[in-house]
Amino acid sequence: MLGLIQNELLIIIGRWRSYIGFIGISILMPLILWGFSVGGEELHQDYAKELGGTFMVVGSIINSFLATYVIMNTLWIHIPFLVTLAAGDSVAADGANGIFRITLTRSVSRFKILVSKLLASYIYTATLLIFCAFWSLGIGSFVLGTGDLIVINNGILILDESQAWVRMAFSFSLAIFVMCMVATLCFMFSTMVSNAVGPIIGTMFLIIIGYMIIGIPLEIFEKIEPYVFVKYFNVWWDAFKDPIPWGEIGKKLGILGIYLVVCFGIATYVFLKKDIKS
Amino acid sequence: MILETKNLTKTFGLRKAVNALNLEIPNGSVYGFLGPNGSGKSTTIRMMTALISPDQGEVLINGQSVQKLGNKALLSVGALIERADFHKHLSGETNLKMLARMDGTDESRVQVVLNRTGLGERGKDKVKTYSQGMKQRLGIAQAILSNPKLLILDEPTNGLDPQGMKEVRDLVRELAAEGITIFISSHLLDEVQKICSHVAMISQGELKTAGPIEVLLKNSDLLVTEIHVDPIAPAIKLLSTQSWIHRCEEKNGLLNVGVSLDKISDLIQLLVQNNFQVSAVIPRTSLEDVFLSKVGEESQI
Repeated sequence: MLGLIQNELLIIIGRWRSYIGFIGISILMPLILWGFSVGGEELHQDYAKELGGTFMVVGSIINSFLATYVIMNTLWIHIPFLVTLAAGDSVAADGANGIFRITLTRSVSRFKILVSKLLASYIYTATLLIFCAFWSLGIGSFVLGTGDLIVINNGILILDESQAWVRMAFSFSLAIFVMCMVATLCFMFSTMVSNAVGPIIGTMFLIIIGYMIIGIPLEIFEKIEPYVFVKYFNVWWDAFKDPIPWGEIGKKLGILGIYLVVCFGIATYVFLKKDIKS
Repeated sequence: MILETKNLTKTFGLRKAVNALNLEIPNGSVYGFLGPNGSGKSTTIRMMTALISPDQGEVLINGQSVQKLGNKALLSVGALIERADFHKHLSGETNLKMLARMDGTDESRVQVVLNRTGLGERGKDKVKTYSQGMKQRLGIAQAILSNPKLLILDEPTNGLDPQGMKEVRDLVRELAAEGITIFISSHLLDEVQKICSHVAMISQGELKTAGPIEVLLKNSDLLVTEIHVDPIAPAIKLLSTQSWIHRCEEKNGLLNVGVSLDKISDLIQLLVQNNFQVSAVIPRTSLEDVFLSKVGEESQI
């Protein structure tokens, strides 16, 4: 299995499309960090105004943690899109390029091939998010410095630097799980078609439709809301609550996990039954 | 038998692509698989290599069912299905190493098969820099990577220029000489006749005939005869009016006539009675003639 995963990673590394995510992050992150660096004073004033009645603010609250907390909003749309670029290609591209005529005639089970492709997609997804964290927290620490993280979300939470590191790591771990679910959804679509664009469009369409359903306050939408997977995407925010709502996190991860398993189950069924005609 | 198909059937929509096909490929044979375009050759080969699931029937490789065991039954099989497609952005060598890792083949085999297929010097180049002939040779390299006992080749010379075709043909001949059982579908009847020991012909998904080539040629009910006759043009004119003559043309200064075996004496008699000088009658039935008699003249192979 390790050899198969190594193969899939080689394929991902060799595709130029795989680098779009990293290039995008490498352009976006410096831009955001630069924005915080030159326009941080304005944000500082806003925060200070919010906190002014209760706290006395000494020094700057603008640091890499706050920047990262803001940057994590890209996890709603931007990062899922970058994740789908690799996951969408995973199975569909091999079908479209005729590679399956070579690989699926060997004495390796289709299931093993499918699992290796999915795991490689997960590794790519995790790497993308770690790269994102490297920019926002690693490079961000050099540019903006570190300090306490102040989170204003239905109340004020102040996390000291050591806690902020832990919460950030936890939040990114949760985000990796969420993005793996997105990758599995896209992967499922990838087994059904023979071009990489369809799975990307299909996945992003479902995500956007999901946001619309949970965003529009209609009774009919509220009824189906619990079944919309994007409702549970915000699990990474739970890492910045105090106390950490473990039960809530567990429930959200469980539901996302069920979606992940179902998507993989469908992908497996489709792939094992698939006739390779091209 | 190293490879058998039993009652193999596949339907796409309303069209029966393969209909109750029974084939038996003996160990050590070079087995040609012939049929017109759309006759079900590729579908059959894809069922043999687990790319397509049959609706009915099964494929047995060394007695093991491909349909029951899945890809595990392909342990001793190497296959090249139509065009050889690889990851173009990777080198030929990397592509082969990936395939070696897939089925646990020793990676040292990669250089062996690259050398064997004449790609030893180009192994480190990206596949996108390869000519079509080189890609096809790389396709054969991957097929023989795991030292298979059975090689299944579907139209391996398709899309190649004459030089590329020759390279692939020579390679197939060499492999056959080493004792590997080869099952090959091809458009090139002449080549199949030269390379193969056995042949099967299908049309519209159904088996028309199968067996050792020598037996098929011997038992053909259509005998093609070359006749030294003088003068040749009036002879063609005369024979063309006879309904029992299937074909009549001039080839290399000889009269080439397709006629049923029992009509040979009538043919000679007719020519002599019409004052033609007949100096030699040479039986020259080819695989093409057998194919045309079994599958039909209208078929385009």
